[in-house]
Amino acid sequence: MPSLEKVKYKSVPVRDLFLEMKNLSELMIDLAYSAALFNDRELAEEILELENRVDTLDYLLEMTIMIAARDAHDAEALTSVSTAASAADKISDAAGDIAAIVTQNIGVHPLVAQVFEKVEERLMQAKVAADSSLVGKRVGELDLAAKMGVDIIAVRRDKDWIINPEKTEHIKGGDVLIVRGVHSGIKEFKVLAEQKSKRSSD
Amino acid sequence: MSQQNRTVFEEIVERLVELKDTSELMIDLAYSSLLLNNTELAEEVQRLEEHVDKLHTDFELLVLQSEFKKEDAKGFLGLIRLGVATEKIADAAAQISEVVLRGIEPHPVLQLSIKEAEETVAYVPVTRGSQLVGKTLVEAHIPEETGMWILAIRRSNKLIRPKLDTRIEAGDILIASGYSEGVGDLRRMATH
Repeated sequence: MPSLEKVKYKSVPVRDLFLEMKNLSELMIDLAYSAALFNDRELAEEILELENRVDTLDYLLEMTIMIAARDAHDAEALTSVSTAASAADKISDAAGDIAAIVTQNIGVHPLVAQVFEKVEERLMQAKVAADSSLVGKRVGELDLAAKMGVDIIAVRRDKDWIINPEKTEHIKGGDVLIVRGVHSGIKEFKVLAEQKSKRSSD
Repeated sequence: MSQQNRTVFEEIVERLVELKDTSELMIDLAYSSLLLNNTELAEEVQRLEEHVDKLHTDFELLVLQSEFKKEDAKGFLGLIRLGVATEKIADAAAQISEVVLRGIEPHPVLQLSIKEAEETVAYVPVTRGSQLVGKTLVEAHIPEETGMWILAIRRSNKLIRPKLDTRIEAGDILIASGYSEGVGDLRRMATH
């Protein structure tokens, strides 16, 4: 059985909790279809991690809402937040279900991916090697869209997620980058991120 | 796999893509309905939910009728599960829109959580003589020109989730959101 993260109340603005839940759950949908259609286990495991995170956020959000409600009017208004958050949690669960198709070795028929590829872009994750040529570069400076038809849509830095990173965001060794794009481009990018940089003297 | 099976397969995938697009469209519309406390959009989501239920049934029937071989069973189970999860996403969207339909005033904190400034929703028909006809959404530059962005496109009773390469046709109704000042500009673009 997977160990569950302990939840303890801490003071975080409801706005931040909800925004993170909404953003993560939407990212997870995209990741999940890609993981299932291309039988991408790394991506699927990333999604299951994210599902845990969204669960934890939902607990914190519920606690915060309970503290915030002072009267009937508050309670009514806050119900809208609670309901929307639980929907985001449900979306994240659904993404988790899709990821489980991969992690439980069921898989989706490979022909589906072939047809799907014509209509949908693919997402992939790439872990930046400590001495990759990407380290220290800003997202904007890489000009990935023009060079390879690839977009960085999220960065995981240890436990933190940066969704739609700014152009000025610096890439660090150990970052897990989520990229979206054409098939050939994201493969090329994965190699670039994961291999050691060539020294100019080579 | 035989040619005939291949065609059945393409049909299955087509349904799956439609299911997926519709459920994602529902999420976009549902959050917008909540932010704007807009009953019309919320009802749109509810209608789409009914549509998804029907699509999902059609999809499952197609998968089950496809006469797959024993060794393909797992791959087809994966497809069924993908459909179930997609339906769950659509349910979640419907849940969000229900808040509006039950007359619960959305809490202001929700507005703060969304980057885009949404103030109003407009339904804008595109006429034959419009500059937008034949352009993709990238080429149309609607957000740049009007400050409005397209939530969905209604085309002969179907709602389409806009993608960058979606081409605008005469007769389309653009469902757009943004500042109210932009509505006039968008109407002009849609008719001139």
